[in-house]
Amino acid sequence: MTTQKPAATAGPALPARPGAGPRPGHARVPRNRQQFNLLAQDRRFGYMLVAPAVIVLLAITVYPLIYNLWNSFHNDVVTSGVPATWAGLANYQRIFTDDLFTPSLLRTLGFTVVSVTIETLIGLGLALALNRAFRGRGLVRAAVFIPWAVPTVVSAQLWKDMFDPQNGFVNYALGLLHLPGAHTTWLAGTWTSWAAILVADAWRNTPFIAIVLLAGLQVIPHDIYEAATVDGASPWQTFRRLTLPLLKPALLVALIFRTLSSFLIFDVVYNMTGGGPGSSTTVLSYLDYQAFLTQFDFGYGGAVSVALVAFALVIAAMYVRVFRIEEAL
Amino acid sequence: MSAVTSFADRVRLDGWRATQGRIAKRTGFYLLISVFVIASLFPFYWMVITSLKTSADLSKGTTSLLPAHISFGSYKFDIAETSKTGVNFGQALLNSLIVAASTTVVTVVLAVLAGYALSRTRIRAKALILGFILLTSFFPVLAMVGPLFLAYRHLGLLDNYLALIITYLVYTLPIGTWFLANFFSQIPRQLEEAAVVDGATRLQALRRIILPVAVPGIFTVAILAFILAWNDFAFALSFISSPGKYTAPLAIVALGHSQYQVFYNRIDAAVVLTTLPVALIVIFAQRRIISGLTAGALK
Amino acid sequence: MIRKKETTGSAFRGARGTLVLAAVFALAVAGCSSSSSAGSSGGTQVSATAKQTIVFATQGLGSEGTATQAAVKAFEKAYPNIKVDILSLSPVSDVALQQLQQRFIAGSGTPDVITTDVVWPATFARPGWIANLTKFHPDASEFFPGQFASGQYKGQQYAIPWFINAEGLYYRTDLVKTPPTTISELVSDAKAAMSKDKSLKEGLAFEGDKYEGAVTAFQSFGGQLSSTSLANINNPANVAALKLMSDSIHTYHIAPQAVSTWEEGQVQAAWQSGQTPFALNWPYLFQLSEAKGSNLAGKTGWVPFPSASGGAPQASLGGDDLAINAKSTHQAAAWKFIQFLSSTSAQVARAISAGDPPAVQTAYTPALLSAAPYYKQEQVVFKYATPRPVSPVYTEISAQLQTMISSVLSGEETPSAALAATAPTVKQLQQTAG
Repeated sequence: MTTQKPAATAGPALPARPGAGPRPGHARVPRNRQQFNLLAQDRRFGYMLVAPAVIVLLAITVYPLIYNLWNSFHNDVVTSGVPATWAGLANYQRIFTDDLFTPSLLRTLGFTVVSVTIETLIGLGLALALNRAFRGRGLVRAAVFIPWAVPTVVSAQLWKDMFDPQNGFVNYALGLLHLPGAHTTWLAGTWTSWAAILVADAWRNTPFIAIVLLAGLQVIPHDIYEAATVDGASPWQTFRRLTLPLLKPALLVALIFRTLSSFLIFDVVYNMTGGGPGSSTTVLSYLDYQAFLTQFDFGYGGAVSVALVAFALVIAAMYVRVFRIEEAL
Repeated sequence: MSAVTSFADRVRLDGWRATQGRIAKRTGFYLLISVFVIASLFPFYWMVITSLKTSADLSKGTTSLLPAHISFGSYKFDIAETSKTGVNFGQALLNSLIVAASTTVVTVVLAVLAGYALSRTRIRAKALILGFILLTSFFPVLAMVGPLFLAYRHLGLLDNYLALIITYLVYTLPIGTWFLANFFSQIPRQLEEAAVVDGATRLQALRRIILPVAVPGIFTVAILAFILAWNDFAFALSFISSPGKYTAPLAIVALGHSQYQVFYNRIDAAVVLTTLPVALIVIFAQRRIISGLTAGALK
Repeated sequence: MIRKKETTGSAFRGARGTLVLAAVFALAVAGCSSSSSAGSSGGTQVSATAKQTIVFATQGLGSEGTATQAAVKAFEKAYPNIKVDILSLSPVSDVALQQLQQRFIAGSGTPDVITTDVVWPATFARPGWIANLTKFHPDASEFFPGQFASGQYKGQQYAIPWFINAEGLYYRTDLVKTPPTTISELVSDAKAAMSKDKSLKEGLAFEGDKYEGAVTAFQSFGGQLSSTSLANINNPANVAALKLMSDSIHTYHIAPQAVSTWEEGQVQAAWQSGQTPFALNWPYLFQLSEAKGSNLAGKTGWVPFPSASGGAPQASLGGDDLAINAKSTHQAAAWKFIQFLSSTSAQVARAISAGDPPAVQTAYTPALLSAAPYYKQEQVVFKYATPRPVSPVYTEISAQLQTMISSVLSGEETPSAALAATAPTVKQLQQTAG
């Protein structure tokens, strides 16, 4: 894989993987019964310690997944007052033929591509800027990092305020500069709503990308750059040939994490547009929420959930493939 | 950093022209940095001045970048009074604090145990367990709310903080366990081995020897867990129905749900109060958070 | 190697660690469950004369909230053995509905008494969430027939009217001499007022956000939603109504684009700030508008929204009913409370202090009309009150309509295309509900 080499070069960037000691499979072969007992005891102790975390996580992720699978093959509308009945593939048929799921999926994918691209480009610029030594760097880093730490509800509310036609800043600024659009009701149109959502999302999440990329940048040895400068490489060549390849692992991590959370966007949509106008900002997570908790249709919601999990797994599989967890241990 | 200075030194020798170019570049660089800082902080400024406006100011619309008067009325209202929607924001902050703090405690306990087992014992299927734990952090939150809603209904946990504390572990445990497993594996084994030789049980060794050394790592996990739990909206929205039990993000949304008049100043006062704790944490524990985040991300 | 010694931790000691953990959880459970609501399902009924506390879930808005508290105090005085706790619901009806549904699904025995919008009782009755009140023999003749019917499901009574509401057109008597009786008059009056008085920001304010309010506005604009119309909502009357809503923004320019994000609150703000000569809203605003110190006192008029077809106007019927949680063990006391709230004296008190028009016909006493003369004008609007369909799947139908209206107001779709797209789904929903 192309990532192998830079990963090796940037080795110190990646903290040692847990359990990097002797591998379980390669543990010392017990020489006698007493040692064997000790190993068994050690394992029992280990399982007991790890069990609570694993059980809790199984209960809150795998159990819902199985429940969703079961539900997705049933008609189960809690408000109907009728017990669940076998539905076969009807719910899946519904999600592929109705005018909700496919448009939501396309919207979600479109938003994911656009938001991740924009956030990555800006995040990269920010990381490169923060990687340089300048006075007040710590403060600047804290300042640009704060948006990541605020609740998504806060970012949605902040930008709702900024875009508010009466009390907002955006229209006020456009008016001051005599630019068109000073009377836009942002959340009343499809594209203006998406613009507002995108800004709120990028504002909060670009710092995450920047921070991950910055961590990747900071472990690139400086002498490489000195050598490049001596060789007379232009800054662009240095970036293209040295920085970018060495940054690839960090970039991939940032991309995959962001791709996933972008794909699952919910809070900002719920708070800024409620999926509207019409259903023009209804994304998959919002559709799933509506199915579960406004229509209480657990069959349809189950089918949407299974689809959501499938997409998330594809993204996660990319991650696991790229970083080969099993090899690392 | 030495590279930068030595590079700068060399440039300085190149004389006046180069110096001029350097100044231009510098100015451009600082301009760029200013744009980033302003873009990050300006919405906070807007939120603060909106929260300080009176309702009368708000009805006039935006007329200036500065508030006409400064009024703390919105803060007083949010904390002291219960809105017509049954939301007392002071109570909501307290609720958030209870839930986030409980989540933090449970996360630390579970992550320490699991992290220790994964780094120090010879259990089988470590890769599988670690992979699974990592995978759970990819789980779509909204796909979980339906089944968990039904499950908590059967357990009588709807409208109960416990439902939130348990569910928030999906945010906090993966990163916490990975980070601590990592952290423990960097602590020299000799430390606890010596203790075990002295007759301590392994759990005692963990508690007396490893934990004190691991305090910085545990602190990092605690901070991250607190922020992640503090910020949740989707689970609280799904499982909590009494206004008296709303967490801060839910309460912000409920304050916006005023059928008669939308009080942006009161909403923004609530937003400020919700942001303040996390902003302070970021300012004071920035390095820790970043190390936790990037350790979680760079694996 | 010493390392071997490391593994001497016994299973017993490991188990102790797990026990500690269990204890942490148990503590957390204990700490939290003490604050959880007691979900006493299917318990034995408490007699009305026993000492007890009942929980009343209601939307506690402004002067309405104050009026509810006053009514509760009066009730507790009359029945010293019954204490009433108020559980506030969101003022946004869609959110309030969800809050109630979540509680019902959770199987909670509280709240005992709930306030339900006139369009919800069938939805609550079908899964058996609210108690059949027929056993208490409510007197139908006391109420307006349309609203009394809103509480019925399969011939049984599940909810009792609390107060009636109908949406009408507010107009500024100082800016509009005679209220419009046709749509073209409304448009020309709005335009004339806007050109005469430059301080007006718009000519007509209505609620067009994607929520239940959009449906009532649609009905006021002439939308046909009777049970028979639902079989095919793509009819000329509905096209005309939807087109009128859209035209007011995009063609006549009397309503700002922002109305597609407005709820009653923004409409009220626009009206009270004096920036619009016309506003579509509920009766509560009359009382606020005519209140002492209001800049609109003496300038408020309220009429039915003119008919698009030239026929009889429509006013969307709203209002709230009262119902009892089927899992409540305090049903007798709950019924006493409902009876109290629908007594003539309680109805008049609420009508005067909160501006909620009585659901009980006998409450329109000369005393009320002299204390609050605007109820005379309101009665005219109530005459045209048009109910929304009584259906257990009303909320699903409404969700479809909301999306449809929202996409038309934002200019995404034409009225006829939106209606054509929505009609089959609505028909199907209507059919599956039986």
